[in-house]
Amino acid sequence: MTRVLVVDDEPQIRRAMRTSLEAHGYEVRTVGTGEEAVVAAAEDDPELVLLDLGLPDLDGTDVIRRVRSFSEVPIIVLSVRDRQADKVAALDAGADDYVTKPFGVEEVLARLRAALRRRQSGEPSPPVHRFGELEVDVGRRLVTVSGSPVHLTKTEYALLEAFVTNAGKLLTHQWLLRKVWGHGYAEESHYLRVYVRSLRRKLGDEASAPRLILTEPGVGYRWIG
Amino acid sequence: MSDRWVLAPGGGSRARALVISVLAPALALGLALIVQPEHELGAASMFLLAVVAASVAGGIWAGIGSSLLGFLSLNYFFTEPLHTLRVHNRDDVVALVVFLVVALLVGWVVARAVAERDRATRREREARLLNLIATKALSGEPLDRVLSDLAAALVDALRLASCEIHAAAAGRTYEVRRTRPGTADGDAFDVPISGGDVGFGTLTASPPLREELLPEDRRLLEAAASQIAVCLERARLDAEIAAARLEAERSQARAALFSSVTHDLRTPLASIKTAVTSLLQVGVRFDPAQARELLQTVLEETDRLNRLVGNILGLAQVRSGALLPVKDPTPLDEIVESVLHRLGTRLAGVRVRTIFRDAPEVPVDPVLIDQVLSNLLENAARFSPAGGEVVVSVAPWRSGVQVRVADQGPGIDPDDRERVFEPFTQLGVSGPDAAGGSGLGLAISRAIVLAHGGRIWIEGTPGGGTAVVFELPVRDAAPVPQEVAAREAPS
Repeated sequence: MTRVLVVDDEPQIRRAMRTSLEAHGYEVRTVGTGEEAVVAAAEDDPELVLLDLGLPDLDGTDVIRRVRSFSEVPIIVLSVRDRQADKVAALDAGADDYVTKPFGVEEVLARLRAALRRRQSGEPSPPVHRFGELEVDVGRRLVTVSGSPVHLTKTEYALLEAFVTNAGKLLTHQWLLRKVWGHGYAEESHYLRVYVRSLRRKLGDEASAPRLILTEPGVGYRWIG
Repeated sequence: MSDRWVLAPGGGSRARALVISVLAPALALGLALIVQPEHELGAASMFLLAVVAASVAGGIWAGIGSSLLGFLSLNYFFTEPLHTLRVHNRDDVVALVVFLVVALLVGWVVARAVAERDRATRREREARLLNLIATKALSGEPLDRVLSDLAAALVDALRLASCEIHAAAAGRTYEVRRTRPGTADGDAFDVPISGGDVGFGTLTASPPLREELLPEDRRLLEAAASQIAVCLERARLDAEIAAARLEAERSQARAALFSSVTHDLRTPLASIKTAVTSLLQVGVRFDPAQARELLQTVLEETDRLNRLVGNILGLAQVRSGALLPVKDPTPLDEIVESVLHRLGTRLAGVRVRTIFRDAPEVPVDPVLIDQVLSNLLENAARFSPAGGEVVVSVAPWRSGVQVRVADQGPGIDPDDRERVFEPFTQLGVSGPDAAGGSGLGLAISRAIVLAHGGRIWIEGTPGGGTAVVFELPVRDAAPVPQEVAAREAPS
């Protein structure tokens, strides 16, 4: 059974999450403070952490940093804070995803499954990623839609690769800029917009009805293919 | 009693009376000696004329003085023996005595008549002045103008060198000074302006140099001062009434707001509780469809409550300045697309069409503008007929970007287009269409747009629907003050 650590100071949320997750076959441990969370993450070696940011003792962002110092376990933040600054801070500290409270359980379960998939398929990454008509062969740097090749510039390809190898993960502007353009470009988010737009066009994706790249305004993008 | 007034109409003096009482008989004597040196009767007539003239010009004392001088002159120059004050002829003695008595009587009667006429003239002038003051006081003209006109009227009527009014009422001070050109100020006379226990200021009247104010003048100034006090008192009361009315309106608005919030928060809670307690009833079995329906209610009402709380908190934060936009140059079409994707099923009943003209990026807080667009789109969908079209356009506009959300709903009366931006305003909406509306969406949208230095308003559409339009500046702009802009008319 997959072990999930739920960190939240509200007993009602802990109870609801435990009931739902156990019903879906997960093994659940719940804790109510940041210190307990860090200890549990170290001792129990959970496969996924669901973390509330507003804890009584530590700030959730600090919990993420401390857990990241010894573990690569996927961390999904569940928080009532909906400002993009809070999201970006948590993601930059090492969180994998961010869900705003109040949430629907099915949404959390979907994000949780995506994170677990990434982890299992994580390393070594398969050379070919398929998303419906789209095929990205990372080994041969080849992109096709319905079998016909798509010509991408070097930067467009680097961006696409960053997306498909982190499918389902909410990627901040900063992270993508560092990954694709390198350090020193972290503030140039309009570069990113221009390239995301042309990538969408070439792959036949639409921003208002996205099938591949989902925009999280002010925060970043998520590959949902 | 106004003996000075009687003696010296027009503000003369005792010296003048003395001069006249000498001058008039002297002139009469000269004339009598030149024209008819031997004619006693003619001389007496001349002197009587002098007495009348002196009484008119100099008052009763001038009349008495000229009578005596006339009597002595007749005796000295016209009765035997000439050039002495002795009288030989008994008839002459009688004539002289009769002359003196007649002269004194005529002088007295004439002087009294003249004084009476002067008093009447003055009373009429006073009445006119007081009437003018009272009319001015009630005219409703701005108070500083009223005071200035009053000062001018006093300068005119009392032939003052200057008149000043220094007063304060209803949080304002009034400084008025009117002068008569080319006249230096004499000794100033101060009259306090006060009504009841309240002192408002001072009325200062200065006669021309080396002249004095008559007691009548002072009384008139006091009457004017009390009229001015009435004006100021009225201004004070008006200000108090206006303040009280404003406070009453505010507290009424607060009460209405409070009761709306209470109602809007309790309604979804009531639905949730009803649904959940139904499900928890012991011994009642719902079939799966019924149970699902109850749970669906819980879910919808929770979402509604969540949106409402989000809007209430957001409005309070933005309005109090606690929530400052974290601005980042962003293409607005990107936010529109993201909102359309997120709202998804909530816009299922309408067809959404987007028109994106090449608009520049704008420095905005994406989360806040997302909230604005969500509110506008949800409103548009809620008031649209089934299958109606909602058009969202983003276009460059002067030094900014204009976003327009137009629906095919029933439209909003032009008179109500500003009012709907007030919190908890829902226009005659009832029935299922109104569900989910909190009456806060437009209020928070305006607060957010203002915090970005932009503006938002409502227009009609050619098809009779509603278009909500907002503009955001391309250059990073200072926020528009929330209070001021709430009253700003749309263009």
